[in-house]
Amino acid sequence: MASTRISAQLPPDIDPTKAPIAFGRRALPKLNEEIQSPEPLTQQHALMALCDLVHDPEKVYQAIQIGFVENLKTLLLHHDSTVRQKTTEILCIMAMHNVGLIQKGVISALAELLDDPAEIENALIPSPMSLLSPPAGAADILHAGLIPLLMFKLKSELDEIQELILDTLSNCLRVEASEALSSGAITILKQKLTHSSVTIRSKAARVLLAIGTHPEGKVVVGEVIPVLVSLLEDTDPEVQASATGALMFATVKPQGRFSALGAEAIPPLLKLVAGETSKARLSAIKTLTMLAELPEGRRKLLDHTDMFQQCLNDPCEAVKRAAEIAICVIKWKPY
Amino acid sequence: MSFPRAAHGNGGIGVAVTAGLSASQSPAGSPRCRGAGCASVTAAVVVCCCCPCCREKEPVRYANLMYDRRVVRGNTYALQVVPASTQLDLFEIQRQREARRRALARKRAKEQMQLRTPEPVEGREHVHVQTELYLEEISDRIIEVDMECQTDAFLDRPPTPFFIPAKTGRDVATQIEEGELFDFDVEVEPILEVLVGKTMEQALLEVMEEEELAQLWAHQRAYAELRNAELAEVQRLEEQDRRYREEKERRKLQHMQMLQKQKETTEKIAAWAFAKRYLTDLIPSVFNNLRESGFFYDPIERDIETEFLPWLMTEVEETLEKKVLGRMMLDSLIRTVVEKRLDAFSQEPLSGQTEAPAEEPRPIDAALQEADETEAADLPVTASEESDQPVAEEQLSRRISFQLEEPDRAETEDLETDVVLCPFRRMSLSHSRALKDVFQILALLISS
Repeated sequence: MASTRISAQLPPDIDPTKAPIAFGRRALPKLNEEIQSPEPLTQQHALMALCDLVHDPEKVYQAIQIGFVENLKTLLLHHDSTVRQKTTEILCIMAMHNVGLIQKGVISALAELLDDPAEIENALIPSPMSLLSPPAGAADILHAGLIPLLMFKLKSELDEIQELILDTLSNCLRVEASEALSSGAITILKQKLTHSSVTIRSKAARVLLAIGTHPEGKVVVGEVIPVLVSLLEDTDPEVQASATGALMFATVKPQGRFSALGAEAIPPLLKLVAGETSKARLSAIKTLTMLAELPEGRRKLLDHTDMFQQCLNDPCEAVKRAAEIAICVIKWKPY
Repeated sequence: MSFPRAAHGNGGIGVAVTAGLSASQSPAGSPRCRGAGCASVTAAVVVCCCCPCCREKEPVRYANLMYDRRVVRGNTYALQVVPASTQLDLFEIQRQREARRRALARKRAKEQMQLRTPEPVEGREHVHVQTELYLEEISDRIIEVDMECQTDAFLDRPPTPFFIPAKTGRDVATQIEEGELFDFDVEVEPILEVLVGKTMEQALLEVMEEEELAQLWAHQRAYAELRNAELAEVQRLEEQDRRYREEKERRKLQHMQMLQKQKETTEKIAAWAFAKRYLTDLIPSVFNNLRESGFFYDPIERDIETEFLPWLMTEVEETLEKKVLGRMMLDSLIRTVVEKRLDAFSQEPLSGQTEAPAEEPRPIDAALQEADETEAADLPVTASEESDQPVAEEQLSRRISFQLEEPDRAETEDLETDVVLCPFRRMSLSHSRALKDVFQILALLISS
């Protein structure tokens, strides 16, 4: 009788659509050769098998060493859609392991596929990109000039794809924001901030955060401050956290500070600070610190210093420091 | 046998107590090991376990330490140990000799009992030979061969062809009723368990992978948050610093401007004070200068000075010129008269002339007095008498020319104007009085 003991091996699966996998170290080289064969059926079989193998990081490493990535790049432009889809999937899983795919120029190869008319690949393409982007791939993406293209896609794609695109954008724009600004990012993002989906709102706010880290971005994000302030009272904590982060960077400049004060940002921020478990705590404290640099802000916040005192006992080190700095700034006098 | 050990590798160490004694004489009466050929002493034990000759013969007996003869008892302080007395008893010596003889005998007997091959016959030699079918090289070194085995990279093995064995035997049929072969429900259970188990395992693996990813993302997110906060802090501090710097610059500029203005103001005040002081006596000095340079004049005085006096001077000049002219005329007249007189007197004798001039001076005096009178009356109003004077002078000069003698030295002490009267200096003394009078008239003329 078969024993029920679970083994360390994957269970043997007899899938007719998969090529048989050779033993041990021979598996990947064999699949490599199969992939290069002229028959599409063989290629498909091999890709299916590879898809399963790639979940193991060791295999991924070996695959990259053997030189799989070149073949996969060629396959991305195959005429058969299944092949393309499977290749994208494989690249997606490989990207998750973060073993240095970026040097192989995968991003540029992926970029060529972005304009593929078939929908299935499009659903998958941004995901390896978004996985590859932080932070080393960001330079590559910028280099390939993909940002205007991504922005354009942002308008027209499905929601899930939009989320992925927003992820990619937030990672890239942290490095450099001028391209995005020149392609009119702010208007698009402003729309997204009022989207019905929660994830899209939070990710759009994250993109704004990334834009705001640059000086020219701050000026532009300043226009969106009223919307961000309204997002502070959103029900989802993710959205709140992202919006607070974006506000934090937007209020560094004095114009931003004035517009934030004008939009009555202080009460919701105080609520966020008071909430013990909110993710936005750190960002809220920092934003209040920025607002406290203005005289009106300081006046209003002098009444609420006890809340910052409470934060001093927070277990998180960063929150403690931020609360100390906030108290210093609030109590500062010009003389 | 205090420390017995079951298996001795080297029996001599086993019992430290016994080892020392095994080779030496034992105290009298102590039992000896009964093993053949063993001369060691044992205490209350038949066989000692330490010596190798006895080891395999009889089992080891264990004895109590307390009753071991070899352990020294009693007071050890004053014990004079005589380890082995060199003086042996006769009996002891005998016994030893006997034991030795017995041992030798035993050995010889053993040797003889061993089987030996008979000695070789004359001229022959025993040689060891192998008698098997195949010769074998005998050496004490074991033959070793290194063998390696490695799996080659698999050549592409074609898939095994489906094996369908050839049909052999006879076909026989039989009928299986239900429940005869196996009970499905019982048999299927383990298979199901495996299936379900493996499926679950696969699912768990996948879920674990996803969870791992999610955790990685969460970790990254937390880090990103911290990083953002720090970045914002840095930017805020930069902004603050920029503001403070700008404010400082502005204040410095303001202060500089204020200082500048102050400096200018003090300079202005100083200049104003100095100028004021400098210019206080400007007006008096100006007026002084003007007055000194004659800008403030009395108009009447000026008028008199500018107009009247020049006119007066010109008039005086004219009058004087006229007078001068008159005098010059007189001069010339006198000169001619004197020359003529001289000529005349140089020709005539001197006596006749003295009376004539004596008489003539008197009418000349009278004429002169008349002229004096007329001229004295004319003096105040010289303008109107201009025409008379030359006539009077002409008359005078005619008269004088007749009366005058040759010019000798005249007494010229009364003469006031030498220039006019130069020719008269040479006149003689006799005519001096007359000439004096003439000269007086001339002086009066001049002084008017």
